[in-house]
Amino acid sequence: MSPDRPGSPDHPCGPSVSRLIEQFSRLPGIGRKSAERLTNHILNCPAGDALALADAIRTVREQVRRCSVCFTLTEDDVCRICRDPRRDRTSVCVVEQPRDVVALESSGAFQGVYHVLGGRIAPLEGIGPEDLTIDQLIRRVRQDGVRELVMATNPTVDGDGTALFITNLLQNDDVTITRLARGIASGSVLEFANREMLADALRGRREL
Amino acid sequence: MSQEKTEAIVIRQAEFSESSRVVTLFSKDFGKLSVLAKGVKRLKGPFDAGIDLLSRCHVVFIRRSSGALGILTEARLAARFQPPGPDLMSLYGGYYLAELLNGLTEDDDPAPLVYELAVRSLDGLMSDVQDSLSVIVEFEIGILRLSGHLGDLTECTACGTSFLEPSGAHTDGSPAPGRLVHWVSQGGLLCPSCCRPEYRKRSMSAGSVAALRQLGRMDRQMSARVRLTKQQIRECHQFAVSAIAHVLGRRPKTLRYLDIG
Ligand SMILES: [Zn+2]
Ligand SMILES: [Zn+2]
Repeated sequence: MSPDRPGSPDHPCGPSVSRLIEQFSRLPGIGRKSAERLTNHILNCPAGDALALADAIRTVREQVRRCSVCFTLTEDDVCRICRDPRRDRTSVCVVEQPRDVVALESSGAFQGVYHVLGGRIAPLEGIGPEDLTIDQLIRRVRQDGVRELVMATNPTVDGDGTALFITNLLQNDDVTITRLARGIASGSVLEFANREMLADALRGRREL
Repeated sequence: MSQEKTEAIVIRQAEFSESSRVVTLFSKDFGKLSVLAKGVKRLKGPFDAGIDLLSRCHVVFIRRSSGALGILTEARLAARFQPPGPDLMSLYGGYYLAELLNGLTEDDDPAPLVYELAVRSLDGLMSDVQDSLSVIVEFEIGILRLSGHLGDLTECTACGTSFLEPSGAHTDGSPAPGRLVHWVSQGGLLCPSCCRPEYRKRSMSAGSVAALRQLGRMDRQMSARVRLTKQQIRECHQFAVSAIAHVLGRRPKTLRYLDIG
């Protein structure tokens, strides 16, 4: 029995091998073939490396939780951004997912703090406002002296709708609400922008 | 395998993999169909910014036999669904419309009239002069009619008494007085003498029934002129929701977002 040809439900090398293949193939972008390749790698690499991977997976799931202020992922009770005294706490950028925080942070262009909704209102998928951290956001705005909300939900029907829903909840509060601009990327050329990008760019034009 | 071209509205999207989605379209020429849109989440791809909920686009797809998922190869945006803010009613009306299109139609069953109705309704929801509630109710009645779920609204389903015949002072052809009742399982109406007590909460005024009939006729010019009162809208909507829930076997889930009394 060679471990070179794993794959069948009852694997010749035993059920633990089938189980690992099964687990790998559940990961995004991993098909059956890749799962078999990864399993072979785990079986053939030094035992220490394989156990370090297992340990890293366990630790990350045990240590990482949601920030109690902004709901992004963190290993502490309050995340690094929320704790940073240089960040402007009166300006809050509202995003759908922790990965959006990572993306916006990489731009280095935002000095405020974040609020992660945990998704968007998607009526067709049965996701409503009560499934998100909208109540917590409203409380934050009213209790923590927030002056500006930057709506950075995705530029989709769901994302726009979520931004509008929150805006309506806060219409009588003293807070400025802005929406992330959309349109043409810096460094690109007008003639290669598609119709929708150009229309967005025109709608979002600003005074110089 | 054949390559097809049509115009379609995006009514549902489901994650398939990191970069791909299964997209359910309601198309002009083929009715409802689901296709795999590979690489749809990448910024640069063959799909423009066309693939978003309720967008109308020109699509090219490869149809596969034996119920296998088709492959979307091209999508060019014709119109994005951009309801006027700040009221959310038109947006939620759009979601509701997508749910009904998905629930009340079958795969690969061409329904060009339903498509036409859907396009007209989406346009109506996007317009800031049309009342979104009227647009929604017109769509509900229209899709019930076109999918064969709207019964005869001119006579009592049980005894056959005509609601159109003049009775007493009603010589103008307007319906007989007294509230009529929706007999949901038969898709029709009952006259006051056939009505059973348990149905009474689904009663409608004669005016609402007339409005219902007019909407069900789906005459564009006519319905453009129909001006419904708030009560008529509410009663026609209640009628439609009972009928739709009966067909679906449940209440539409996006309904809770629509604030119609
Ligand atoms: Zn935080
Ligand atoms: Zn009768």
